[in-house]
Amino acid sequence: MTTVIETDGLTKQWGQLIAVNHLDLAVEQGECYSFLGRNGSGKSTTARMLLDFIRPTAGSARLLGGAGADPAIRGRVGYLPGDLNLPRAMTGNDAFDFFGGLRGSADDPERASLIDRFGLDPTRPVRELSTGNRRKVGLVLAFLGDPELLILDEPTSGLDPVLQEEFRSLLADRKARGVTIWLTSHVMAEVERVADRVGLIRDGKMAKELAMEDLRHQTTGRIRLGFAEPVEASAFDGVDGLTTVDVDGRDVTVSVDGPVAALLRRAGDLGAVHIETQRRDLDDIFLELFDLSADDGASP
Amino acid sequence: MSAGWMIVRRWMVDRRLSTISWTVGLAVIVVLTAAFYPSLSETTADLGSDSSGAMSALLGLSSAIDPSSPLGYLWIGLWANVVPMTQIAFGIALGSAAIAGDEETGTLEYMLSMPVTRTTIAVSRFIAAVAILVVSGALLCLSLIVSIPLFELGDSVTTTASDGTSTTQPGATALDAFNGTLSSTAVGLGFLGLTYAIGGITGRKGTATGVAAAIAVGGYVLYTISNSTGSLDWLAELTPWKWYVDDASLVLGVSWAVIRPVIMAAAGFVVGAVVFARRDLQPAK
Repeated sequence: MTTVIETDGLTKQWGQLIAVNHLDLAVEQGECYSFLGRNGSGKSTTARMLLDFIRPTAGSARLLGGAGADPAIRGRVGYLPGDLNLPRAMTGNDAFDFFGGLRGSADDPERASLIDRFGLDPTRPVRELSTGNRRKVGLVLAFLGDPELLILDEPTSGLDPVLQEEFRSLLADRKARGVTIWLTSHVMAEVERVADRVGLIRDGKMAKELAMEDLRHQTTGRIRLGFAEPVEASAFDGVDGLTTVDVDGRDVTVSVDGPVAALLRRAGDLGAVHIETQRRDLDDIFLELFDLSADDGASP
Repeated sequence: MSAGWMIVRRWMVDRRLSTISWTVGLAVIVVLTAAFYPSLSETTADLGSDSSGAMSALLGLSSAIDPSSPLGYLWIGLWANVVPMTQIAFGIALGSAAIAGDEETGTLEYMLSMPVTRTTIAVSRFIAAVAILVVSGALLCLSLIVSIPLFELGDSVTTTASDGTSTTQPGATALDAFNGTLSSTAVGLGFLGLTYAIGGITGRKGTATGVAAAIAVGGYVLYTISNSTGSLDWLAELTPWKWYVDDASLVLGVSWAVIRPVIMAAAGFVVGAVVFARRDLQPAK
């Protein structure tokens, strides 16, 4: 498999501030990689280094086998910045003609359908557009010309829920075509449907990398059991796959990794009177992971 | 169409309204000033004879210029001060917008995500800025050429001194208009290059505009002080005002010194483009 984005010890430092700290990253062709982190964690700085807007203090970054500074490489990349700024007098159509012209995709047959899909009026000048409508212009520009790699910095920021859904659908469509996607976000639910892998960045460092499948797995497996009489946590010792046991009087909440048959047998033996499965929100897991990575960072 | 040409064209199109407004405004000032020549020529003659050394320096008068002649009138009324100052201001505005202005608004960053090199952008923006200044200068020149026959500026003027000797000063011609505008546009070009360089180095429009404007105004003050006191001549030589006013191209014809601001613009372009290609892009404000 071809590696489309590759960083090796990528570092950006301004004075005492280390915005990105020895970042090692590899995104394979056709993969959707989501870079998650809080505001100011280094997501946008990484995107700006990938496209050579700013130069690394140390380390290197490669896109599609070449440098982000190479126009031939950038011609194969669709980019949506976190804060899209276009000349204010430019209309959407002007932008598609001009930037599309530079990329050789002004006459992309998909242009009309993309405009239609996002419900954009392309005749209005940028200065008259709301934040959401400017975002739509940026999204159409990013998708024009069927790029091999999409770099999207907080793509749904400012979009209403309907358009967010439309965007996810479009992203899934591009992913099915084999397009590699690298997107930043601080909203876990946004990436749930499209991401294959997530990287959690904290204070410029890669805190954790996880396959989306593993994350999804963590959303299930919490079971609440009700008993007629209070039980001790030790009553569940030796149950296969049990990772946590929380006792609150006659209620016991457990996490299970794997089959639940052994747990159910033990619960039955202990006289359980009701059973309830719980699904954890991805955002909770996101917060939990960040807490864990903070703890990791604090340890010597 | 090449990417470079597309960038030049787009940048000029984005500035068409401001360019037209600026140029029309300047052309109107030229035509209105020219229209008052028949009634004001005697006043300017008195102004010339009554002036102190400092006032002559401010008016741009030298012994070779007769303020009652058409060219002398145009020189002290417009080309010695108003025209170069406005063209310097225009040059500074264009030079600061070329890189730093768009970098500050964030529009340059998006352009850099396209398949074009930083050098292509830097070269294209400089060409576009120079083209706008030159087109504006050409229209300014045209406004004067049109005014010459309309307001008797093409007629020669004969003056008789107190000792009875008479001198005939020629009327203004299209070539004079060209010479004068070439020099004033060159000064504007020099400051365009200077501002472009500062913008290319810093990426900050306010810094580029402020430093270039301070140099332009400071140079003018230095020149007038030098002219009226006779000191600081060596320092005044560094300002474009020294050669521009002393050589008075509108009246005396173009001198080789016109190459100075062109060299300044070329140097500014090289420095600005090279540094811009190597540094980090500043975040949008």
